[in-house]
Amino acid sequence: MADNTISEEDFQKFREFFYRKTGIQFEPSKRYFVDKRLVERIEATGSDNFRSYFTMLRFQVSGEELQQLTNLMTVNETYFFREEYQFKCLVDSILPEIAARKTDGSPIRIWIIPSSSGEEAYSIAIYLLELWAGINDWDVEIISSDIDTRILGHARQGLYSARAVQQLPALYLRKYFVRSGDNYQISDELREAVEFTRVNLSERADTRAYRNFDVVFCRNLLIYFDDISRKTAAETFYDALNPGGFILLGHSESMSRISSIYKIRKFPEAIVYQKPQETR
Amino acid sequence: MAFIKKSRNSDALAQDERKVQRDCSSLALGLEQPDPLARRWAARDLADCPDASAALVSRLQREDDASVREIIFSTLTCLGDDIAVAGLVQCLRSDDAALRNEAIEAMKQLPDEVAAIMQGLLEDSDADVRIFAVNVLESLRHPEVESWLIEVIERDPHVNVCATAVDLLGEVGTEASREPLRHLKARFADEPYIQFAADLALKRIAEI
Amino acid sequence: MKRILIVDDAATVRMYHRSILETAGYAVEEAVNGFEALEKALQSSFDLYVVDINMPKLDGYGFLRELRGQDIRQVPAIMISTEADASDRQRAYAAGANAYMLKPSRPEQLLVNVKLLIGEAQA
Repeated sequence: MADNTISEEDFQKFREFFYRKTGIQFEPSKRYFVDKRLVERIEATGSDNFRSYFTMLRFQVSGEELQQLTNLMTVNETYFFREEYQFKCLVDSILPEIAARKTDGSPIRIWIIPSSSGEEAYSIAIYLLELWAGINDWDVEIISSDIDTRILGHARQGLYSARAVQQLPALYLRKYFVRSGDNYQISDELREAVEFTRVNLSERADTRAYRNFDVVFCRNLLIYFDDISRKTAAETFYDALNPGGFILLGHSESMSRISSIYKIRKFPEAIVYQKPQETR
Repeated sequence: MAFIKKSRNSDALAQDERKVQRDCSSLALGLEQPDPLARRWAARDLADCPDASAALVSRLQREDDASVREIIFSTLTCLGDDIAVAGLVQCLRSDDAALRNEAIEAMKQLPDEVAAIMQGLLEDSDADVRIFAVNVLESLRHPEVESWLIEVIERDPHVNVCATAVDLLGEVGTEASREPLRHLKARFADEPYIQFAADLALKRIAEI
Repeated sequence: MKRILIVDDAATVRMYHRSILETAGYAVEEAVNGFEALEKALQSSFDLYVVDINMPKLDGYGFLRELRGQDIRQVPAIMISTEADASDRQRAYAAGANAYMLKPSRPEQLLVNVKLLIGEAQA
């Protein structure tokens, strides 16, 4: 019978190892969350106990188990207004800066990848309409891309469960959705606001047409990539952005272990990365 | 003003300005253009040109735009031939820390190619180069890593080369490292850091 | 409690410095390169940085340069290097370091520098 208890010392050891490998640091308050997932993997891999599982994790040449575990530790469901502080940062800090700099009257362009089923792109559209006065003066293009054509179909359709919309203020829910049985159908106004496209971020031929963006949202994707793919993605975003353009990653992600070509910008709401204004 | 879907109209997503099929010799010339963006694209597309390493290495020594350098390193990693590897090694001797560190990162991605020259790097007369070589071993997925590290801690006279190696042995060390770690402790008996790091590595080995 | 950020790409060095500083009563956080350190430094407040010079992505000099450019709080920094040259020492001070130490560091020497710059762990 496997012994699945995880001691305080085990937790500390794992915490340090996981930080070193992924850059993700669990607060002691996350102990329950971490333990639960460790136990799940100990059982799934048929390991005898934490110690034998941890040894496998450290020494496995393929790194497959570390990836499995990372996926589990970072598993995310997407919903409207998730990690809302970044949208606040967009309207309160980022867009005013971009608008002040843009003098050629070209539209402000925002790229969201991965699109998944569209909650993030539509959340941004709602945020701009409701909380950014600049929407009256600027044209904005929102392009939301994913590798998965099936999920893009869902995104275009715009039909969401009650769970997906539960973070939305009731006012916005009434304004932009129509109830359809147990689900919520997003309005045509918002469906018209977002362009959904299929892109494989690791495929040069796919990404080369993506240029002149002012903001890129790439949240909770790079965490699933290996080192080389992460670096390629960082380079792709660099090419996709205008000078001075911004990139926002997920809350547990950081560019700091991937690439040093971006600048770190501190805004009141969030830390974001910026392509330098001009190269030397 | 409002949301627009430009792609419904004419030029959806900006048209690619580069000709997709450019030949290798003009790409190599592209590395010398004044516009960093043009150099960046040339460096990227040279990934499809098997003989491009020499031109890339030569540009690397003079390139001062960080974003172009990053692409050159990626392309050299992708090519991974002898000239590319020799160019990376040359960077280890540079005074430019950023260049050195990018070269170390690139070399980690080329386990077989770097393995062929690792012994020489670990015996280099410059202690800094030996430290950088050990840094390369950090994420090099290669079966020889532990035995190279053991050799370093048994033989290298420089405390910081050994310190770097013992740090890694804490990660990859097995039973085979136990005795060499004990010897190292005896050899640097009055260095608290070596004592700490070797004890930590020994403790981890005992846990396997 | 006084908070110190340890910046070093070598995990064992971070643990070593952590154990010395925690034993002396300081609270410690870690970063693996200058870029990550800059993120943490801009998001949180520290009393002192203990910074390795040679690191990937952004080295110790780069970290201090960027930090001093973006952060008006003049938090002191100790730089640690394997280089014994006088020129490296000068370069560290020019980048904004308040103290310079050689690797491998010794506990008593680290603590002397820390106390000099920010005092005892408990104010």
